[in-house]
Amino acid sequence: MVYILGLNFTESILVKKALQSFFGIGTDTSARLLARYHIHPTCKVGELANKQVLDLTAALSDMKIENDLRRQVLDDIKRLRETGTTRGRRHALGLPVRGQRTRTQIKTAIKLNRVDRRL
Amino acid sequence: MVSPFCWGCLTPLRQTSRTILPSPSTAVSRGPAFHTSAALQFMGRPSQGGKKGSTVLKFRQPAVAAMKKKKKFVEKARPPPVGERKAIRKRIVLSNPNALEVEGLQELSEETMVDSRLRGTALALPVPMLDQLRAVQAFKPKQGWSIFRRPCTVLRRETLELGRFFDNVTGDVERRGAVIKKIVGGARKSGKSVHLLQAMAMGFIKKWVVFTIPEAQELVSATSSYAPLSEENPNLYVQNEATAALLSRTVAANKDVLSGLRVSQNHPTVPAAKPGMTLEDLAKTGAQDQASAWAVFQALWKELTATGPAPGLEKHYTPRPPILVTVDGLGHWMTESQYRNAQFKLIHAHDLVFVRHFLSLLKPGQDQPSLPNGGALLYATSTTNNPPYVYTLDVALKQVAARDAGVEPSSPQFPQPEPYSKTDPRVFEVLESPKSKHAQEGRLQHQILGGVTHDEARGFMEYFARSGLLQETISDGWVSEKWTLAGGGVIGELERIGKRLRVAA
Amino acid sequence: MAWLTSSCVVQAMQSIRSPIALRTLLPQRSAAHTTHTFPRASLSTTLQQRKNVRTYATEVHQSSEVPPAGEIDFEHFRAMPARIVPVSPSYFSGIPKFYDHLLRLERLLALNATLPTVPSGEAPRKAWMKIAQFREHLGEEVPTKKYMGLLKVVYRLNCIDPSLIPEEVNAALQEFVRPGNPLGEAPAPRQLDELGRARGKGKRKASNAVVHLVEGEGEVLVNGRTLAEVFPRLHDRESATWALRCSSRLDKYNVFARVRGGGTTGQAEAMALALARALLIHEPGLKPILRKAGVVTVDPRRVERKKPGHVKARKMPAWVKR
Repeated sequence: MVYILGLNFTESILVKKALQSFFGIGTDTSARLLARYHIHPTCKVGELANKQVLDLTAALSDMKIENDLRRQVLDDIKRLRETGTTRGRRHALGLPVRGQRTRTQIKTAIKLNRVDRRL
Repeated sequence: MVSPFCWGCLTPLRQTSRTILPSPSTAVSRGPAFHTSAALQFMGRPSQGGKKGSTVLKFRQPAVAAMKKKKKFVEKARPPPVGERKAIRKRIVLSNPNALEVEGLQELSEETMVDSRLRGTALALPVPMLDQLRAVQAFKPKQGWSIFRRPCTVLRRETLELGRFFDNVTGDVERRGAVIKKIVGGARKSGKSVHLLQAMAMGFIKKWVVFTIPEAQELVSATSSYAPLSEENPNLYVQNEATAALLSRTVAANKDVLSGLRVSQNHPTVPAAKPGMTLEDLAKTGAQDQASAWAVFQALWKELTATGPAPGLEKHYTPRPPILVTVDGLGHWMTESQYRNAQFKLIHAHDLVFVRHFLSLLKPGQDQPSLPNGGALLYATSTTNNPPYVYTLDVALKQVAARDAGVEPSSPQFPQPEPYSKTDPRVFEVLESPKSKHAQEGRLQHQILGGVTHDEARGFMEYFARSGLLQETISDGWVSEKWTLAGGGVIGELERIGKRLRVAA
Repeated sequence: MAWLTSSCVVQAMQSIRSPIALRTLLPQRSAAHTTHTFPRASLSTTLQQRKNVRTYATEVHQSSEVPPAGEIDFEHFRAMPARIVPVSPSYFSGIPKFYDHLLRLERLLALNATLPTVPSGEAPRKAWMKIAQFREHLGEEVPTKKYMGLLKVVYRLNCIDPSLIPEEVNAALQEFVRPGNPLGEAPAPRQLDELGRARGKGKRKASNAVVHLVEGEGEVLVNGRTLAEVFPRLHDRESATWALRCSSRLDKYNVFARVRGGGTTGQAEAMALALARALLIHEPGLKPILRKAGVVTVDPRRVERKKPGHVKARKMPAWVKR
């Protein structure tokens, strides 16, 4: 078990996947993080040196991820709604925001865009 | 009303009983006879998922009651344990008890490897040496060792030349310290890897120190750890894991040689290297402690290439044996690796110190030859496993051959890359080898392995027949026919033909 | 004979149908062409007069100025043929000259049917006219099938015993022989070139191959590469060199081939054909063996083209009821 940013990861999973489990880190960001600390892409969490774990944790704590990021996104949506923009209204109505067609295939918007948006 | 009698044969007709027919009064209340879905809607939908009486459709809920599918019984086999599939894939079988024992089979030895009378015969690899060869991963999984009783190789012309060189460097006083540097090329299945294997076997026979890199790709495919070399050299990268693996391979294969040599130089960077300890122990420390692997490797290399002891350590010094270095799959070292630096740029393979070290041996040494105690560098290219752009290497190898043939780089005959083609200047730089100042050090050559001759092909097919795989009378005509079918005696194709005939018979 | 040309006949028919006013001129036509001017001039003057006189629409027009039609001169008219009969009975068939030839040949055949014949293989060899030549010769668009029918009669007549054949038949047959002496100039047998190479060409499917064969020790180069590199499949390698193998000459010749187009199978078999042809230049005596081995026979099959409305060449889309 290795702690990265206060979270516990089993040793057998890839570092790349462990990083991607954080909200706000995808394939590209995780690959860049690995490159910054000279960790090869197939490295497992258990193979990390102590210093590398600390480095990763330090880098992650500087980044806006997880709850901070969620809050920011929600705030942005709220701002749009309160200023009465079309985008804000679309968010509140549960409709696609970015000009997609609404005749079919709007399930994601139905699922996600609501007044009390959750992330 | 229909008559109750058939007027043709005057027998009473059977009449449908009235009770079976639907009564007009009940037929109205029931749904239509054919369409179940409409009837179901009429009578109310069956309750689904425990919600009783809910007739409101959810989003896109099918209006037709879903048919329950029978669950297929799938037998779930347990997946094999981690690593087992790879182990099966990489397993090397060297013996087949069903194959016949070949009578009068000679082994590769100091005498046989230079005996030109034996040219074209199959020579068995000595059994004690197999462990060493396995340790340096000389055998590849698809080389077809598993169909014979014992692993054997054919003594072909190139092998004999190599054997003579090994013999001279070790025995002849004048030739002591000679170095050959070859990049082994050739068509697919022409026996490049087996040529390296034969060189390794000769190295073990002659008590050389053998360093091998069986898969050059593994060093650049970003599957092992890497780190910047030091603060001063942030653009060079060290691969400790791969270096430790190389050290452990070397220790396992060269135990006898290394245990007879002692540390006789000063190594300020390696605290573990104490004067007088055997080189085997030195290498083992590097293999065990990955963090110091690269430093230990450098110390070991310094020891092996030493021509004399450091002052004060004379009692530990014994003359160093020649060194054989083999690399298989050189193409992967001639492009960018899969590793990335801190700026997320791809690292060139030549910036990995491990690769850089072995490539720098191709250049002539400054003060002394790159292998001062003699030895051989055999770097094989591959035709099947190459990175996407090996064009530069192709041109560079043509240049190597031209330089070796005496064509001046300024002459118009000197091969040049096509204009507007994308080439890598670092590859040209690393393969550009001027003539050495030292007489013993040979120039970099590009050796192309072609097909074997008719006689060698005959010897090879006879070995198949004597192992019980071929049931044909082997005549000159038959052999030359197979020789042509094998693309002019390409030895891997000959083997394929020999194996196929076994199935047909 | 002027009546025979079609334009004359048409002119005649039209002139018969022309207005009665002009019919009076018919007998005089051959006598004097100048008389043509007379009725035209009189007609135009009467029309002009009519223009100048203003009349009402209901007014009865006095047409006393227009001369009545003259009486038909039956005596002269009788001198013309009642029905124009073409010289050739096959005039209305569209290809009269062809049918004239056919009828003549059939008449000859009927006259000489009882003469003894020789088997068709022993009949004197003659190169008959090809269809394109024959069409050019006649100036008629003879259908191919009809010409084949005619040639059958020609073949039959040619089979009459040469010692007994009548001069008339011989002359008739000679008309159908191609000009020049095509059978006399047989193509020269192919030779090795000055460097001892034999060249053969072969085709199969979409591939074509050119093979240069020299005496040697069994090396094969295809497009500058070895046989094993070009044909990874062992079967292809065997079929490519089959001509040499079945005559056990594989170690006696060197092969240099250039193969283009198609896939591996086509290339290998195109090369086999080319190789067999080249080998026959070196050793013509091998022909029976190679024929038996099946490498001399050309395989003319090609991929059938795809048709509109079909999924492939013949496959139809699935038939769905409504």
